[in-house]
Amino acid sequence: MTKNDTPKSEPKTPHGEVQRIEKREAESAPARLDFSKLDLTVEKVEERISPSETNVFDK
Amino acid sequence: MIQRPGFPISLIFPPQGHFTQPYLALPCLKAWLVQHGFDDVELVDANIDAYDRFLSREYLTRARDRVRERLPHKRFAGRAQLEFRELAAFRAATEAEVSADALIERIDDAKSIVRGGAFHDIERYIPATRTIYHALRLVSAAHFPSELTPHNFTTGYANDRSREVLAATLDETQNPFIDHFRTHVLPDLIARSPRVVGMSVIYGSQLIPALTLGRMIKAALPDCHITAGGGFLAYIGAKLMAAPGIDACLDSIIFHEGESPLLALCERLRDGHELGDVGSLTWFDRSRGGVRTVTNALGHPIKLDDAPPPDFGGLPLARYFSPELVIPYDINRGCYYGECTFCTLPTVIGPGYRTRSAATIADHIVRLRDELGTRNVNFITDCMPPGMIRDLPHELIARRADIRWWSDARVEPKAYTPEGARKLHESGCRKLLFGFETATPRLLKMMMKGQSLKSTIEVATNCARAGISVTFYAMVGFPTETRAEAQATVDFLVEHKDIVREVSLQTFHIDEVAKTYREPEAFGIKILSDPAADLQLYHDYEAASGMTQTEAAEVFEDMMASLRAHYPLFTGDNIFFFMQKSHYFLHLARGVTPDEFNDRCRRRAERRASAGPEAALSVGEDTRLLAVPFSYTETLAKLAHPLARAARPDFLTGRFVESAENVAARELGAIQRKERVLVYCGETAEFAEIRPDGARALDALRQCGSLGELLDLLPAHDQAARANLTSFAAELHRLGVLTTLQSASARA
Ligand code: SF4
Repeated sequence: MTKNDTPKSEPKTPHGEVQRIEKREAESAPARLDFSKLDLTVEKVEERISPSETNVFDK
Repeated sequence: MIQRPGFPISLIFPPQGHFTQPYLALPCLKAWLVQHGFDDVELVDANIDAYDRFLSREYLTRARDRVRERLPHKRFAGRAQLEFRELAAFRAATEAEVSADALIERIDDAKSIVRGGAFHDIERYIPATRTIYHALRLVSAAHFPSELTPHNFTTGYANDRSREVLAATLDETQNPFIDHFRTHVLPDLIARSPRVVGMSVIYGSQLIPALTLGRMIKAALPDCHITAGGGFLAYIGAKLMAAPGIDACLDSIIFHEGESPLLALCERLRDGHELGDVGSLTWFDRSRGGVRTVTNALGHPIKLDDAPPPDFGGLPLARYFSPELVIPYDINRGCYYGECTFCTLPTVIGPGYRTRSAATIADHIVRLRDELGTRNVNFITDCMPPGMIRDLPHELIARRADIRWWSDARVEPKAYTPEGARKLHESGCRKLLFGFETATPRLLKMMMKGQSLKSTIEVATNCARAGISVTFYAMVGFPTETRAEAQATVDFLVEHKDIVREVSLQTFHIDEVAKTYREPEAFGIKILSDPAADLQLYHDYEAASGMTQTEAAEVFEDMMASLRAHYPLFTGDNIFFFMQKSHYFLHLARGVTPDEFNDRCRRRAERRASAGPEAALSVGEDTRLLAVPFSYTETLAKLAHPLARAARPDFLTGRFVESAENVAARELGAIQRKERVLVYCGETAEFAEIRPDGARALDALRQCGSLGELLDLLPAHDQAARANLTSFAAELHRLGVLTTLQSASARA
């Protein structure tokens, strides 16, 4: 079996909140959502660079 | 009984140092020992060994399981608010949970991209590098509150208190190296049974790992003499050797340059002689019962031109996280100038300035080039004197060395003329780093830099015109510096962004060896000491005028923000090129000019900023969502505040200010409950935070396959719904969480 043949197993996690968003059979769910009313705010996750990380001489 | 032949010596580089190229000290020592008759000298890079293993599927899987056990994210579920003290744990628990599976899946690919052919593909290199950073966060979370990054290792223990340092060497919950050494370093050492182990401790971040390893070797091999040396120990070695309990980890410390003392130490031990006349050695005398610390007289440094080229034999050269090897090579030791009032480098190497001749350097470089099969060289020098700037290119060109190199430099207007810079480029020079420090002449004078702004920019311009990439070291918070003066520095740097490509910006620290510590009145400061910190090297201070330390830390953030807005190499995640030692240089070495590279970075940033709601946008196969009861971004912002940073021991200073956490908790306050969803995209290695509604939208997008298909389902007249969805998708596209890339499974 080559690497590409490896079946992709679903994550076995006891933590239900972590979802691998799965394809669902019912195609109706997207249509039922009222996208105009959803709060689709996005927050950017930005790592700040600390002084210790800018020293190319050292590290 | 089997007779042990010879006199085996093992020279070990303990974690944590950077992972892109080997360090120089131990190969120099090995060459010297071999030249003087010790032929069984082994080099062990325990640092790259640890990084390589920690960044493996197997280790990350263990780390994920350990986080779930020790730091389950559910522990925060029922809470109404999170105190400042809990933020770091919340961060670690949630980001580990949402990203772990994708990291495990992708870590091997990420390493092979950084090490191999796809290194030069910017769109693959950056997610790969980011995957490595995030994977180290997973390793860190498994040892919370420790943090291991490519640049740093800290624990919850203070690096400047010997009792805490020693406790950290025994604490497996926080110290990942105990298990690593036990399973992956010690067995080989026990099989080899070296008579001497020498460790190179250049950085504060190596102190706890080095003492951990020393302790374990001493327990397993009681007859082995364990010595250590290197830059960081040159600063704190005397205090360390006076601290109770260190004798369980070490037998001696070598100060300053290691060649001559290490050779003498090995000779005495081999011949069964006393150690009292080994120069520059401080050692534990156990001969009369009990343990007595003995400090020998300083020895003489070696004549550098007699030293052989460094011997890299035995280092795992293919394991460094770079596609090609960059050879470090020392041109000289010490600084020929040596006047700068903040500089402590002369302390590290010892008094005096010595150099190899240009002819010797060129001979060695050609030899190393042929032996190691690489043309990339990092000349290690505090700064190159004018004569060397003239002679070295000549010798390299005469021998057709055909190398590419980079190094530190001092502003020398007579040497870096247009013609001088052209010759340097012709000899292979592709990048030089100058100590610019500040744009304020008054401060340059206090620093005794001996350079003017005019000459600095003239030198930089000549180099840039010759095709050499210029980096400036800059500093914020030198005593008496005002906010306006710091702003002038950043304005100057922005004004010259077409000449300067990178800025290594640092906040000013006072350490015990700099003139600023010895003569505080001359700088208008009062030094504050912490009596409990018996290994203290860095000190807080109060300044009669100018910015406070906290202000300087805030101004650092503002300055970085300006640089990131104006320097293409610093924009967005392009900064990874700058942060991985030698990685930008390796592009230059392949013939990309600084201008071309800048353009690539600029175009990449523009592409990302202009990413829109393309119909093909989809949710990646290994994108994961985690419902969290508090805002992750708010947590990050609080933790990035200078007051919050001050509450953690910092790698550079190793300081741990006891009151800092209380101050941060008081000033920064708690965060309130907010239902949020953390998203991690494994393909791009990006996080974003959305609302529960956003998770529903992503779910719908996933079910439909692509944004175009989802939009097709929405009524054409419902403009509000379409606009809300497209702007959401465009924003997530810009943040890298939605992509038009094929998913991993589709690619396979
Ligand atoms: S800052 Fe550079 S030029 Fe100044 S003394 Fe230190 S090494 Fe020498």
